[in-house]
Order: sequence, then structure tokens, then C-alpha cells
Amino acid sequence: MLTYAIRRLLIAIPTLFGVVLLVFLMVRLAPGDPAVLLAGEFATPETLRAIRERYGLDRPLPEQFLLYLGALLRGDLGESARSRRPVLEELKTYFPNTVELAVAAILVALLTGIPLGILAALRPGSGLDLGVMTLALLGVSMPVFWFGLLAILIFSVNLGWFPVAGKGTLAHLVLPAVTLGVNATALLARMTRGTLLEVLSQDYIRTARAKGLRERVVVFKHALRNAMIPVVTVAGLEFGSLLAGAVITETIFAWPGLGQLLVGSILARDYPVVQGAVLLVATSFILVNLLVDLLYAWIDPRVRYD
Amino acid sequence: MTRPWRRFLKNRLAQAGLALLFLYLLGALFAPFLAPYSPYAQDLRSTYVPPLAGVSLRGPGGEWGLFVSPAFRHPLEGVQVNWAEKYPVRFWVRGDEWEWLGLRSNLHLFGVEGPARLYLLGTDEQGRDLFSRILYGIPVSLTIGLVAVGIGLLLGAPLGGLSAYFGGRMDLLVQRLVDVMLAFPGILLAIVLVAILGPGLTNAMIAVGIAAVPIYARLVRGVVLSLKALDYVEAARALGASHGRILFRHILPNALSPLLIQSSLQMAIAILFAAGLGFLGLGARPPEPEWGLMLARGREYLAVAPHVATFPGLAIVGLVLAFNLLGDGLRDALDPRSR
Repeated sequence: MLTYAIRRLLIAIPTLFGVVLLVFLMVRLAPGDPAVLLAGEFATPETLRAIRERYGLDRPLPEQFLLYLGALLRGDLGESARSRRPVLEELKTYFPNTVELAVAAILVALLTGIPLGILAALRPGSGLDLGVMTLALLGVSMPVFWFGLLAILIFSVNLGWFPVAGKGTLAHLVLPAVTLGVNATALLARMTRGTLLEVLSQDYIRTARAKGLRERVVVFKHALRNAMIPVVTVAGLEFGSLLAGAVITETIFAWPGLGQLLVGSILARDYPVVQGAVLLVATSFILVNLLVDLLYAWIDPRVRYD
Repeated sequence: MTRPWRRFLKNRLAQAGLALLFLYLLGALFAPFLAPYSPYAQDLRSTYVPPLAGVSLRGPGGEWGLFVSPAFRHPLEGVQVNWAEKYPVRFWVRGDEWEWLGLRSNLHLFGVEGPARLYLLGTDEQGRDLFSRILYGIPVSLTIGLVAVGIGLLLGAPLGGLSAYFGGRMDLLVQRLVDVMLAFPGILLAIVLVAILGPGLTNAMIAVGIAAVPIYARLVRGVVLSLKALDYVEAARALGASHGRILFRHILPNALSPLLIQSSLQMAIAILFAAGLGFLGLGARPPEPEWGLMLARGREYLAVAPHVATFPGLAIVGLVLAFNLLGDGLRDALDPRSR
């Protein structure tokens, strides 16, 4: 198991390296003088000179990349062109809020998507099954921002149950979490139904039923355990995507997270922050995927470590 | 017709998807004729007018029919309707001039005869007719989807196919590239690309298309890897067939159905992503009638004019649903494993 974990970690390194390279090239590929992009439009000639010095912008690209990599390893992600604060500080302020939102959203998805999927699988072809699957299809076809605006309109503006936007109490979290989780909920419901139906048609389930076990025991003790393995994997991968999906949800609800920071920085052409935020989301996504892989190997005895 | 196709046409999901898509295509093809007004025609006296404002069923003389009275937004008292004036709604009305697919006309399927306007779905922040703008938005969204899927397919499929067919160092390199691109989950890769290319509708299409490249590359790679080892490919090679012949005559036809399924689902994703970029202000720019952008404008006055955000969203849901249904139906019909 440990050697497997180490090997998976080693495989992730070139990917991480590629991500850093792409993020580095972002500023160099974008039209315009990289020094101006990094320092902001209204930078003084002194600032521009300092930026050129720091990133070696007059030197060849490979050398610039090494400088960038070196700074990165020291935790130096540059300085925001807008706020003049170090990018690392900005990320530290906003990232925990995004994680909070994503955790809440994946909880919503797990607690509603899986039970709905189970209900549908227990009565395939019934009205309930049809209803759940229709809702799930709508759930994957709906733009998150539309769902969020409708939720605000109904539950905040008309009913007044939840605040319209912002962060603070638990009530502030409800609508953004449900909005961000709606796609994942639909996905998990479809997935749970599919795998559970497949497992229920297998021989060992027939054996269990033939032994005269109660249906509840057959479904929950025998079938569900095996059906949950791929579902848990998908849920883990979805959690990684939620970190990115939060970009839109945060914009709707004025949630002070990484997504809002990212979009604001792109529109203001504040490239150091854009680079930092993108790097952080991609790195977290790679790490989450790695953890899911290890978890999968741990819970599924069929996975071989070699 | 072959059996899978008959199975596809009999599939309920596929039928629903095809019917829905057909409606949208009709809307796209005849948008300027079906829309009563130009999508750019402003009327700053009638901003945020609710749907069907000023519409009545009795005419000035008490006769039955569909009539419209002028509706205006009063700065303090909200929407005011001048019920004293009534103008009939008629078919085949001359109105805003349009040019479409080389055709010039001012004929519209329906409209009002007289100085009032019929707002089926209300107006937006500049007093433009939302119904007309949503109709004009169909070709915009379909174009985005087609261009993006085309880019993803044309770059991703050969990349994955060649990588799997020739293997070795090239395969390793392509796989690392795909891994790096897939490390940017969901819409993030498209956002990163827009940050490089700059915001705008064309760049959003390109970005969403490139974001689909790794998905196609991975899909085709898997298919080619599984086919490459099969006896009939081995036999073709033993008979002296060239690489090109093996790839195009023996492998490509077998990769078509997974590509078709994926492309239908990918259309749905591309339309959602492009609308998302538009909503964030990174895609289409005003006054383009793009649904995501229209929704974003509705957000500011959600409480006063909920229709501005509601209807463009419904339009997106319908089109995305059509492609998702189609994709599910195609999978049921073409994928032997799902039966």
C-alpha cells in the first residue's frame, strides 16, 4: 500500500510541473508587455524596472521559468497589482471560504443524491424512478447561475428565508451550498441508481435472496456496500470539480472565495493573482484526485497495488 | 436503416431530444421572421416591462381579439399602461428591417399595428424585447456549441488516435499533456484560456473548444488501444495495409459511435460553459444577444424584473436538455454494454 501511495505521488509530480509551466506561460502568451501585465497598467517606471529585475523578463524564457519556479518554492507568488498585497496573503484570505462552500456542497450532494438514487433503483420503472431520473436529468442540464438566481428570487426575495448574498451565519451558507451542489447531486443520483441496479442483478444477490434474507438486509448489507465503491470515487472527483465550479456560484452570492477573487482579477488584468488562484485550484484538484485514488485502492480489495 | 439506428429512433429519450432540438433549429433558422422586433431595438421609456404588459382581449369598440396598449416605466410609479389607446395584434406585419442568410425584409410573423409594442416575455434594462433577443440567441448558442465541439473533435481525436496507435514516447508525451489539461477541472480550463486570449465571444468559443480537447483525446485513445490489439487489425497489418489505411478504414469506423455519443453530451457542456463565461463577463459582450450575458444583466434587478433572468435561463435549460437526451438515447442505442 505504501509503495503504491508513493508511486501515485510520483506520477502526480510531472502533472504538477506541467500545470506550473502552463500558469507561467499564461502571462508570457497573453498579448502585451509581461512587465505591465504583472505590475498593472498604472505602475511607475520604477515598479516596472523592479518587476523586470525580479522575474528576469529580459532573459531567455527557460531562465525566466527557473526564476519563477524558484520564487514559487520560496512561497513567493508575487504581488497583487490591485491591492499591492502579496498574492499568498490574498489566497490565504479567500481559499478557506471556497473550501467551506465546497464541503457544504458535497455534503448536500451525498445526503440527497445517494438516497434518491437508492430509492429509484429499488423500484426501477416506477413513477418514483421516473421522477427522480427526470429531476436528475434536469439537474445536469441546468446552468448553475440560473438555478442560483431562481433560488435567490424564491427563497430570499419572495419568502425571505435566507439572506440574498454575503457570508456570515449558517443561513448564508444554505443557498450557495445547494446551488453549487445541484449538479453533483444529480450526477450522484444517476450514478447510484446505475451501479446499484447492476449489483442487484448479480449472482451473489440472488444467493442472498434464496437464503431467505430479508430484502432490507440484502439491499443495505450486501448490495449497497459494493455499489458504493464507484459512487464514493465519483463523489471524491466531484469534490475537486466543485472547487472550480465555485467560481460561478461565488459570483452569484457574493461569497468571498477564490472564484470571486479569480474573476475579479481576470477582469482587472491582475495577472499575479490570476496565476496564484489558478495554481492553487489545480494543485488542490490534483491532490484530491490522488487521495481519491488511494481511498479507492483501500476500500476496493480488487485493486492490486502493483 | 441499420438496427442501431432504428433502435435510436425508437428510443423515447432520443425522440424527446430530437423533437426539442428540432424546435430550436426552427427558431434559429427563422429567428428574424419569428421575432417581432430587432434584438437591438431599444426603447428607454419601457425598461423592465413585465411579460404581456398592456395586453387585453377586448378592442376599443368592445370587440374580441388580441390588443396591445402602450406600456411605459414611470420613474416613480413603476409600469404604467395607457389603456385609452389599443392597437390590434396581426399576422404578417411590416416592422424592423432585418437581413438574414442573404435575405432582406421587414416582414414579421406577428406584431402590432400601431405605436404600441407587444412584449411576450417583457423587456430588459434597455427596453429591448426579451422574446426577440432570446430567439436571436439560439443561433449564437448553437454556433458556440458547434465551433467548440468541432475544435475539440478535430484536435483531440487525432491526438488521442495517433498517440495510442503509435504508442511509445509520443503516447507518453500526449498523455502528460492530457493530464495537465485535465488538472484544471470543469470550467476552470476555459477560464484560464480566456484569461490568456482575452474576453469575447470568439475567444470563449475557442477556449471552450480547447477545454474539450483532452476529453476527446482520452476517449479516442481508449478506443484505439482496445481495437489495436484485435485480430482483424492484426490481419490487416499482416496483409500489408498502410498505417493510414488501418487507421481510417479499420479503426475509425469503430470509433464513430463513442465519438457521436460524446459529441452530443459535449454540445450540452459547451453551451453551458459558454453561457457561464458570458454570465461572468468573460464571454460575449453587450449588446450581443447571448443567453448567459442576458441572464447576468437580469441579476441586478432580480426583485423588480425577475423575467429578465428567468427566460434566458429556460432557453439554456431546454437546449442543453435536448443534447443530453440525445446523448443518452444515442448511448442506449449504440453502446452494446448499456443494453
